[in-house]
Amino acid sequence: MSSPLLLEPDLIAAGENVMPELNNDLLLAKNFLKQQSAATGDSLYDHLVDIVHKIISQKPPNVVDNFEKYSWEVKADKFRPNFDLLNDVYLTPPQLAVVRRMEEMFQLVARKAEKMEDFGEEEQELDLEEDTDKPRVSDLVDHNYYFRQGGYGLPESECYAVYIALNMLAIKEPVATVRFFGKIFGTKANYYVAETDLTVEELDRRIREFEMKDMPGEGEGLDEDRLPEAEEHKEEVGEGEAVDEKSKEPVPPKLPPVPVSTWQPPPPIPVERPGQGVNRKVFWVCNLPGDPWICLPDVTPDQIRVSRLTVRCMTGDLDAEVQTFPPFEGTERNYLRAQIGRIQAATSISPQGFFTYGSGEEEDIDLEEGAGDMAFNPNPFYQGHTLKDLLDPNLTYWVHHGKYILNQGRTLWWNPNVGMEEGLEEEDDEGPPPIEPESGPMLFTSLAEDSRIESQASWTPRTSTKLTPERALVVMRSNIWPGAVAYATTGKKSECMYIGWGLKSQPPNFTPLQLPLPQDEYPVGPEVMEMVDPTFADEEAYRIAHLPPPPPPVIAEEGAFGEEEEEED
Amino acid sequence: MNIHKLWEYREYVNVNGMMLSNELISFLQNHLTVLQVENHFTHMQYWGQIYAVDADYHIAVGINKDAIHDRKYYYSTDFKFWGLLPKPKKKYKHLSLLTTFPFRGDPSLKIKVIDESFDEHNPDRCQTMQEEKRLAATISNICDEAEVCARGQLIKQPDGTVVINPNFYGLTGPEAKLIKSYLHIRPAQQRWNTNLLTRPDYNYSMDFLDSIDQDIPSGCWNLSVEQSGNVAYLKSLYWPGMSYFHKIRSSDAGFLYVGNGRKILDVPFLI
Repeated sequence: MSSPLLLEPDLIAAGENVMPELNNDLLLAKNFLKQQSAATGDSLYDHLVDIVHKIISQKPPNVVDNFEKYSWEVKADKFRPNFDLLNDVYLTPPQLAVVRRMEEMFQLVARKAEKMEDFGEEEQELDLEEDTDKPRVSDLVDHNYYFRQGGYGLPESECYAVYIALNMLAIKEPVATVRFFGKIFGTKANYYVAETDLTVEELDRRIREFEMKDMPGEGEGLDEDRLPEAEEHKEEVGEGEAVDEKSKEPVPPKLPPVPVSTWQPPPPIPVERPGQGVNRKVFWVCNLPGDPWICLPDVTPDQIRVSRLTVRCMTGDLDAEVQTFPPFEGTERNYLRAQIGRIQAATSISPQGFFTYGSGEEEDIDLEEGAGDMAFNPNPFYQGHTLKDLLDPNLTYWVHHGKYILNQGRTLWWNPNVGMEEGLEEEDDEGPPPIEPESGPMLFTSLAEDSRIESQASWTPRTSTKLTPERALVVMRSNIWPGAVAYATTGKKSECMYIGWGLKSQPPNFTPLQLPLPQDEYPVGPEVMEMVDPTFADEEAYRIAHLPPPPPPVIAEEGAFGEEEEEED
Repeated sequence: MNIHKLWEYREYVNVNGMMLSNELISFLQNHLTVLQVENHFTHMQYWGQIYAVDADYHIAVGINKDAIHDRKYYYSTDFKFWGLLPKPKKKYKHLSLLTTFPFRGDPSLKIKVIDESFDEHNPDRCQTMQEEKRLAATISNICDEAEVCARGQLIKQPDGTVVINPNFYGLTGPEAKLIKSYLHIRPAQQRWNTNLLTRPDYNYSMDFLDSIDQDIPSGCWNLSVEQSGNVAYLKSLYWPGMSYFHKIRSSDAGFLYVGNGRKILDVPFLI
């Protein structure tokens, strides 16, 4: 057809013309497309216009492949609720809660920093005193940089927030040193763990509190010992009453006395006091940087013993119940502390010579007693090792600086016979044989002497780079506590960190402790054993078998005679 | 994880404290891009590491047409030589679960495995297995049980092939907190309509895989939203070292396994 396509008003005008013509067909088609749907009031014409408009304006790639999706999106856009009331409600971004908490922490640290600055300017002379008061916060940002070189560590955003949180801990709480211990995953929330030393005053206060608590504790123990005796007295009294009543009422059958258990619990292993052994360090945890730090309670030997026999994931709630066998005394707070104590004892490693006893001068300490609980400090004369030494697969250049926890659950062995011996002397009995004191490896024992796990060394050394040996550092990865790592540069830097689930690797897998066998109530013999009742046939057989044996030849002769006699008769 | 996005993803990766170091990312990008070109893969992904005594294994996946069935796994200890992993046999998949000792780092090493379920005199009790085959079987086990993707990341096309969705815009905040939004990357083991029937907003092209909320026991997956609600992390208690991250409302997502390749059988005790 030669005539050009008509514009819209012309089209409507042409609609009156009923002759079959292109413009007429077009109009009919368009009218069809513009039919409104009864359900939505929308028409396909408008919809196509919207789609084309959206595609042209957004210019997405390969529209033809997901054209349906675009059509769907355009439709979805139209169904946005448009209520006036809700239109003005502003939805806060989910990050707000986190930001609020972080802001508080940042302001606190900023205020402190300002104060310190003013203080420093005014009293420059008193700098020395100021230094002693100020808690030392280990430089997590710096250590994290080295960890990341070796392929471990925290993401940058997290690392900075945790570092500020450590500073907040140092400002708020009475601590002398702060170090980032690591992160422990939980099923609902994670824990960030800080390891601290308390200030001298706070430590004294806690020791005093501990001793106050300990003394009544011993008294209670004595009371418990007396209890059975008291019960016995009561029973005697009860029997006496029964005797009185005997005259009036019929005689009750005489019962044997109720048996009293002779089992005595072994004396509880004393807890190590704050600032000693497994409780040398105080641990603080929080779920997110910015949350208040919560101090974990000191750990008892029994908690360590139980935690060694069980596996459990943290939940992220410090007051969660710990259901284990053998029963665990305390909530997740105590369990977490016990696990941290074990991890710290097993995975604190450093290059040989990095730490030294005391300040490196006090050599004459009695190793027999004091060595178990001696303080150690960074060695000022440490010069670093070569890369080759640190990478040595025999691990002789790495040492533990965490104290070994004995089977007792203490780092210092406690003699359970000490209290008994005094009493035993009077009785002239042979006391229990002297117990062999447990001993673990000394502090600063080389990793080469660790027990191996499934023919694998307990740690695996790896170098951070192969291309530039001058920048290289060594990262150690624990095979026993997956997630524990330590690094050391060829210079004077070393640190360890734990990021994991708080689970020890136990090939092939964990076996729960068996329940103890039930005790025998009575000696097992034929009179209490269950057996089948004899039937009549059995009894008959028994009777016949046990008849008095008649002398057979005599009977036969007599019978013969008798018969003969009868016959004769 | 897509190897061309490793630099962007490094901030999100965190498996038991493990992060990607600069040198590792550079090595991986260089060598895996070459590997991708040589084999004409449409996608090349870094799968993870398996710890070994002498040298760790690095695993890469090449994906061609089908994102589920057409996968090829490569391993390397030095980044230079990438070996194609053999197809895992059922027998080795079983044996690799029984082995408790660590990988050695030598693919040609032959190891002996004792299957305690057989009698003492049964010849099948003690079997030998090459470390390469053990590696393939271990990886296959992990993929079957722990490799996941967000819902919508893989779509099934009308012709039956599964492709990585180029228009994946990520899960929304509420969706990312639901464990049902994550699917196993494996041929579906449930009935084909199990997943469809349990969702109100079902979609035939997305819900053709098993969702992980069906796994037993119900606490064996750990889903957490971190970095002030921006990134969702998924970890498996059965395979510690497995980690999946997804940046909410974006197409950024990645799977990584870094660990010793041992399945933890203690999960019922852990939760």
